Amino acid sequence: MANVLDLRRRIRSVKNTRQITKAMKMVSAAKLRRAQEHAMQARPYAQMLASVLDSVVRRSDLYNEETGEIMHPLLTERPEKNVLVLVIAGDKGFAGGFNANIGKAAQRFIQERLAMGQNVDLEPIGKKAIAFYKKNVPMAVYEHKEDRYDNDLARHIEEIRHRAAPVEIAAEHPTLLVKANISEIAALTDSIIARYGSAEIDSVYIVYNEFKSVISQRVVVEKLLPIRKLGSHEMTVMEEMTEEQKEAAGSAARKSGVALTLPEESAYEREAKLFGTANVDYIFDQSPDRIFRFLMPRYVTTQIFHAVLESIAAEHAARMTATDAATKNAEELIDRLSLTMNRARQAAITKEIIEIVSGAAAL
Amino acid sequence: MAEVGTNAGLLAVRLVTPDRVLLDATAEAVELPSMSGYLETLYGAAPLLAELGSGEVRLHGGSAGEQVFFVAWGCAEVLPERVTILAEVAMPLDEIDPEQVQAELRHGAELWEQAGDDPEKYDKANAVTRVAEAKLASVAHRNAEAGKR
Repeated sequence: MANVLDLRRRIRSVKNTRQITKAMKMVSAAKLRRAQEHAMQARPYAQMLASVLDSVVRRSDLYNEETGEIMHPLLTERPEKNVLVLVIAGDKGFAGGFNANIGKAAQRFIQERLAMGQNVDLEPIGKKAIAFYKKNVPMAVYEHKEDRYDNDLARHIEEIRHRAAPVEIAAEHPTLLVKANISEIAALTDSIIARYGSAEIDSVYIVYNEFKSVISQRVVVEKLLPIRKLGSHEMTVMEEMTEEQKEAAGSAARKSGVALTLPEESAYEREAKLFGTANVDYIFDQSPDRIFRFLMPRYVTTQIFHAVLESIAAEHAARMTATDAATKNAEELIDRLSLTMNRARQAAITKEIIEIVSGAAAL
Repeated sequence: MAEVGTNAGLLAVRLVTPDRVLLDATAEAVELPSMSGYLETLYGAAPLLAELGSGEVRLHGGSAGEQVFFVAWGCAEVLPERVTILAEVAMPLDEIDPEQVQAELRHGAELWEQAGDDPEKYDKANAVTRVAEAKLASVAHRNAEAGKR
């Protein structure tokens, strides 16, 4: 039987681990609350953008009279030959299956697309996603070409893509999740729209962990471009939470004081739905067409922003659940070890008593 | 005309950014930088939709008091009793960081340099520079105002 001293040392070490996982859980819970709040506060803007776009497009001349379709490059579908996939995972580990689940879902989606004979460009967002692909997927190669015109005043600049493999990394975004800054995401949108415009890519998808609440999350693939319907999310669910996971997440949330459901729609959100949609004859300072064209890229930006915010919340929720389970395991281990230690100590005491008693009897 | 409520004569003003609702207040008058120049709205104004230029939103009177925000990239809706401004960039003037503005100016110059013969890229570069210059103008204006006092 193990020695009491060894057991005591082990218990102390597991207690330290418990302390750490417990602290991590509290930190994740606090960060989760903040992330949830951020996601909530970002809703009115996204909603307003969708409402006003929907409203101006009805008043614009952008409709094709014959087919009734809206004429805008971001809404026009063409055969998908080259697909861009944004993969949002986390920046850190210790979050249970969070990063692995997203990696698996992305992999499945990529395989599906490859089987359909399409090329896939990847843009991993977050350090874990980058680490996942860096090892086995090559970076895309661009050739920078500059031609001077005869008059020597202007130049023609072109970035020519040389595709070497069916799956390549088009760009990496290691810092995007740190602050979830809209200007960084807007720059990403600009680059996506430029590539979409030049037909380097024909469609854009985003793989991320959708977060409705702590107990309602799923890994989804959302179609970003071309946009089929304004204001709606076109997504395929890759993985849902099991009942067991929901249970674990729910119990972790209850213990850390995180709400299980998100608050109801705020007054701002209700108002946001009406933005730009009043049934009046607006005076258009600029034409509806122009406002529509101006706002379209911003709409794409908010879609990515939304995915990023949800993914951040989901990551913290996953870490909270994982560290809660770790704390629970540590507690069980401590209980078990304490029992063994007490037994060992008792055995030693009993042995000593027997020795004393038999010693006394021998006299 | 709008219904006469408790806020009769006052405009409900909202300034919404991608991050949050930055301002929710009432005001007697609101000045907005539209793409075609500044416009000032009062209670009962005709409904209007405008693309925002870069510049200052100024609020006068009401619960907002005198407040100034820098805004860029967005659009605004004016209804008789409310003004809603949607802006990708919106901040109180104090929060404009001159160093960051210089970086934005450099970024604009870089974009211009790399535009080649693509008119759209020139437009983009110009827009970036315009926003940065408008920020500088706002800061200069604020400093001048502070100097007067």
